[in-house]
Amino acid sequence: MIKIENLSKHYYTEQGNIEAINELNLEVSDGEIFGIIGPSGAGKSTLIRMLNLLEDPTAGSIMVNDVNLTDLSSLNLRQARQKIGMIFQHFNLLSSRTVLKNVSFPLEIAGVSKKKRIKKAKELIDLVGLADRADHYPAQLSGGQKQRVGIARALANDPDLLLSDEATSSLDPESTKSILDLLAKIREELNLTIILITHEMGVIKDICDRVAVIEEGRIIEQGSVLDIFARPKTALTKKFISAVIDYNLPPRIVKYVKAKRPGELVRITFVGEKTHKPYISDLVKHYSVDANILYGNIDEIQGVPFGTLILDLEGDLENVEQSISYLQSEGLNVEVLNDV
Amino acid sequence: MFDLISELARYNDLMISGTLETLYMVAMSLLFAIILGIPLGVFTTITREDHILPNRFVNFILDGIINIGRSIPFIILMVAVIPFTRMIVGTSIGTNAAVVPLSLAAIPFMGRVTDNAILEIQDGVIESAQSMGASPTQIVFKVLLPEALPAIILGLTLTSISLVSYSAMAGAVGGGGLGDIAIRYGYQRFQLLIMLETIVILVLMVQILQHSGNWIANKFDHR
Repeated sequence: MIKIENLSKHYYTEQGNIEAINELNLEVSDGEIFGIIGPSGAGKSTLIRMLNLLEDPTAGSIMVNDVNLTDLSSLNLRQARQKIGMIFQHFNLLSSRTVLKNVSFPLEIAGVSKKKRIKKAKELIDLVGLADRADHYPAQLSGGQKQRVGIARALANDPDLLLSDEATSSLDPESTKSILDLLAKIREELNLTIILITHEMGVIKDICDRVAVIEEGRIIEQGSVLDIFARPKTALTKKFISAVIDYNLPPRIVKYVKAKRPGELVRITFVGEKTHKPYISDLVKHYSVDANILYGNIDEIQGVPFGTLILDLEGDLENVEQSISYLQSEGLNVEVLNDV
Repeated sequence: MFDLISELARYNDLMISGTLETLYMVAMSLLFAIILGIPLGVFTTITREDHILPNRFVNFILDGIINIGRSIPFIILMVAVIPFTRMIVGTSIGTNAAVVPLSLAAIPFMGRVTDNAILEIQDGVIESAQSMGASPTQIVFKVLLPEALPAIILGLTLTSISLVSYSAMAGAVGGGGLGDIAIRYGYQRFQLLIMLETIVILVLMVQILQHSGNWIANKFDHR
């Protein structure tokens, strides 16, 4: 388990004191894929680089498997780092080494014998699907392939924890998808804990179990990915979600709604099996309101259906209110949209 | 035409020994540049702020040594270090004596070349090695030197070419080699042919050095 307590990082510059991370607390359980999302400059890169002490914290503690990294001597820290893999946005492979030699590099550092190094490196190259590229140099590989090498290299010393610093941010959508699938696969196979930072909500949606939204060095919202998608609280989170799930009204409908001055406009978000129940026809049958579906969208977050529906409810004010409370009592997330 | 060739042939022995002397001076001082200049460059880089072993004091001293060494014109350096040369070689005349000032010029030059070559390596590559738990020594030998190798080889080529021209200067003050021949026969005795022949040999030498340097650097460059 990873436990971060009161973590702070301040930079002292001529322009003054910059607080990159501010008394941040975080817990990540074993085997979890935990995503940290934030806009650029939010401090997420500083945060992940402190998790293996590439960046020294100003204050606070970082407990990885009950060891406080900040207490370690430099020798012990180097040993602890061997059990924390890291992958990077720009891959950071050694250009002078082949794929095989790059993957065996961390084993060389750990002092593993040559025979064992080659055996282990070959296994990992197989795992990431690059068996036919073992003798190539990084310059001969595509971005996605380079990141596969990066992942194989990060796994060389059988780490418990993998840190991913914007690992898919410089990849095209197709490579991003395949790298995320690979991360999900190695988590299953190796029972690894993964902490990743990203500025793309798509990454969070595709593979994370839990997510923390970070802004100006503080966590402003965190929870399971489904909960955050279903009930985002802050404007920033909503903005990130709207980049991958479009739950805002298209302009054409906004125009129509404004012209017509309808009854009550509501946005319903529903998760899981609730997507299968016929709520709309229930409304119409039991509360004598007309439900006009203006906009709808069903997506999937890690296999769980997730939908948004924007309804125009017309009828007596009382009936409309009753129908809204009916939907809420069924556990749906209902939001009345006063301003479109 | 045959006159020309037979005229030149009279000086064959002289030319061969002059060429060998020049090659000897260049090779010896290049050897010292490798043994002392590359470590000087490595220590200068790694003690920089934000590098793997920051140390402001050591960096200031090493960087100062490189700058001072590089700022003294060779002809002055050669004369200024005569007492030091005598102390080491026992004489201030001859090819061995010339190796001392040549090495003193080549070491800081190679130091700067190495420093620049290592600085070209992206921070992220060094960081990734740190994230794997590499020690500073491991980073130097497994990351910095191998990654900078093509640039260091090109730097050695550059150094060796500078040394060819410096060695000609050393010849003028009794260091031997092709420079010595050009001055004594070509300049002082007005033997234009000898002068031209030394120039041709020097040009060929530089061409061969540059091309082989490029070729070797290319062999190691997988970027």
